[in-house]
Amino acid sequence: MSSLLDRPPYAARDDSGFLAEMQRLTHHHLKGCADFARIWPEWRGAGAVDELPFLHVDLFKRLEFRTGSDDLVHERTLRSSSTSGSEASRIVLDNLSSRLQARSVLAILTDMVGGHKRPLLVLDDARALRQRGVVPARVAAALSLSPLATGIHFLLSDTNNPASMKWDLLAEVLASGGDFLVYGFSSILWFAWAAGDKPENVRDLLRGKRIHFVHSGGWKKMEALRVDRAEFDGALTKDLHEASRVVDYYGLVEQVGVVYPLCEHGARHVPVWADVLVRDPYTMRAVEDRPGQIQLMNVLAHGAPYHSVLSEDMGRVAPGECPCGRSGKRFELLGRMPHAELRGCANV
Amino acid sequence: MCDSLTFFASAFGRTALALPVSPCQSVAEWGALRGAMRKTVPAEFTRDEWAYLMAFLAPENLQAPFLEAFGDPVVPSGDCKGAVSVSRLVRPRGVVAVWLPNNVSLLGPLTLILLTLTGNRILLKGGSRSQDLTGAFLAFARRHLAPGPLRAHLEQRVHLEVFAHGDDRQRQMIEQADVRIVFGSDESAAAIHGGAPPLRGAGFSFIDRQSQAWIEVGAATDEVLSNLIRVFAIYGQAGCTSPRRVVLLDGTPAQAEALRSRMLELWPQVLRFKPPIHVASGNTMALQWAAALGWDAALAVNRHAVIGVGDLTLQAIDAPMFLPICPATPEEAVRQLPANMQTLGHAFLDPADPRWLRLAATTRIKRLVPIARMHHFGPLWDGQRFWSQCFEEIEVQL
Repeated sequence: MSSLLDRPPYAARDDSGFLAEMQRLTHHHLKGCADFARIWPEWRGAGAVDELPFLHVDLFKRLEFRTGSDDLVHERTLRSSSTSGSEASRIVLDNLSSRLQARSVLAILTDMVGGHKRPLLVLDDARALRQRGVVPARVAAALSLSPLATGIHFLLSDTNNPASMKWDLLAEVLASGGDFLVYGFSSILWFAWAAGDKPENVRDLLRGKRIHFVHSGGWKKMEALRVDRAEFDGALTKDLHEASRVVDYYGLVEQVGVVYPLCEHGARHVPVWADVLVRDPYTMRAVEDRPGQIQLMNVLAHGAPYHSVLSEDMGRVAPGECPCGRSGKRFELLGRMPHAELRGCANV
Repeated sequence: MCDSLTFFASAFGRTALALPVSPCQSVAEWGALRGAMRKTVPAEFTRDEWAYLMAFLAPENLQAPFLEAFGDPVVPSGDCKGAVSVSRLVRPRGVVAVWLPNNVSLLGPLTLILLTLTGNRILLKGGSRSQDLTGAFLAFARRHLAPGPLRAHLEQRVHLEVFAHGDDRQRQMIEQADVRIVFGSDESAAAIHGGAPPLRGAGFSFIDRQSQAWIEVGAATDEVLSNLIRVFAIYGQAGCTSPRRVVLLDGTPAQAEALRSRMLELWPQVLRFKPPIHVASGNTMALQWAAALGWDAALAVNRHAVIGVGDLTLQAIDAPMFLPICPATPEEAVRQLPANMQTLGHAFLDPADPRWLRLAATTRIKRLVPIARMHHFGPLWDGQRFWSQCFEEIEVQL
């Protein structure tokens, strides 16, 4: 268990405490996960966080890592929401990590949207919950907000079709109160809610309501639609109570439990039980003065070695203090690494 | 009509080749294009690809298919005299249709160049969702060739179309074709040939294949290893003629490691550029994946590739720039050859040893060539003489 989780997420950092916990966790995975040990056979210890072993994010699409330990029970597998036809990542969840991850997400999101309970509206189909032993990432993200919810309402009848909004259900829930939490993937939130063809009664019911929209999943589709953040947020909060907010967070399935919401000053803050490095893609040296490949770490992952993951996202460490008042490290997310398909002979 | 008659002689008799543009003219005009190619590299091509295309356009390369198919030229081209003792007349079949896959390698432009020498009308179907090297090269050639018969041929008788599955132009292309050449998956080839009129045309399928490089321990010179780096790095495992595995014949694991070390040393001398960052990142992943599966894996400079050393029976990883080196006896290597084997690139101590011919005779390999020539496309491909099949042969007794 991590004592770091007892602290507020954006308190002053205890870097030596974090490094010590990461070292313990790394030794635990080296002992219990043969694949991880084969990848890092010579690692003995780290004098700094940039010397800690990591796994490349795409490796979780190729191998199912699992760390064995007497006190761990592996329960379900978290599966990434693969939208581009590529393989999905598989993260094996365990009892201990799940408890820590739930505490972590709750603390981070409470900091952003407040800790009071209210109805949670999820832009997804409830049937996505019913896969035995497998949790789609989208559902996991929505359910991470459940401690802040008085009840959960799934608003789509088809996961992949934003036009399948259950407007009657939404109207019914909106009529029951004035304060709501809404979660959806960024593009679905746009198509289903912001750009959706709302019935007259729903538009009336929305007027003056206080809603916190929480979304994740990346900005790529929005860029393709030439929708910027101001337009996105404006369309969602139009006619709502002035205290309504839109929170965009960055997170990876392979780093379940830690999310990085965008603060009101455009920064992504790192909670004290996590760390973020930016590495030069060619040398793997940690860099602070230029963009690079983002590595994410946390002390929550016990059932498999996803405690330290090299992503394929590009970012930059932000210098100085943030005007929002949150202390500690923060970074700027620059987007996905550009990819190009390799040429071949029979690639159809 | 007979715009050009060229005569060839071989042990089987004299051949008259009737083409709209004489072979000498086409070869010369393609050769002259290299002047413009030296000055400009279109954005679609890497420098390596462009250099390879320029080398391919050398007159001796383009003359080779004629010599191989018809024998030695015996009289200058350009008139219809000298027909005495001709035993066969060869003429273009009519329409050659070529289906190219998405993101096709240089095979697209190389096929186009070879087919322009046959005098047929050419219909090309490009990939519908990616960069198109064939179209880019065709546009370059049309723009930079000096006005002349070859340029006119490219402008008037070569047609490139890009369309999606289910488009009616697919059916029209199949119906028009006297020769169908399909690069792509087994399924695409079956669909195209299956849709052709049953009594018309010839069909060639260049489907999913893979290649290997075999090196005898004493033959691994720096030149051989530099060539190996070049042929691998251009397309990695995505190229059907790229080595997906290096077999160190009769080598030991220690010798395989030493070979890998030499390749890693040579790498920065052979390839002086950094790969794109997604390639570097993919190789970080490949390094870890290979290690997890038991490979002794190491990175080339700038994370350009991952070279693994391990047993032939180790599970390979599906990573574009992963090159495994496996020490094995020739017998073990033969037993582990994949069913869809295409090119075996070799570095043998004695290439003239008859056992290598026996190897070719008793396995399914389609090409047995030096490592440096693994990507060299030619009129004989995948065991099929597709180029000479683009002609119709007429028996002549005058």
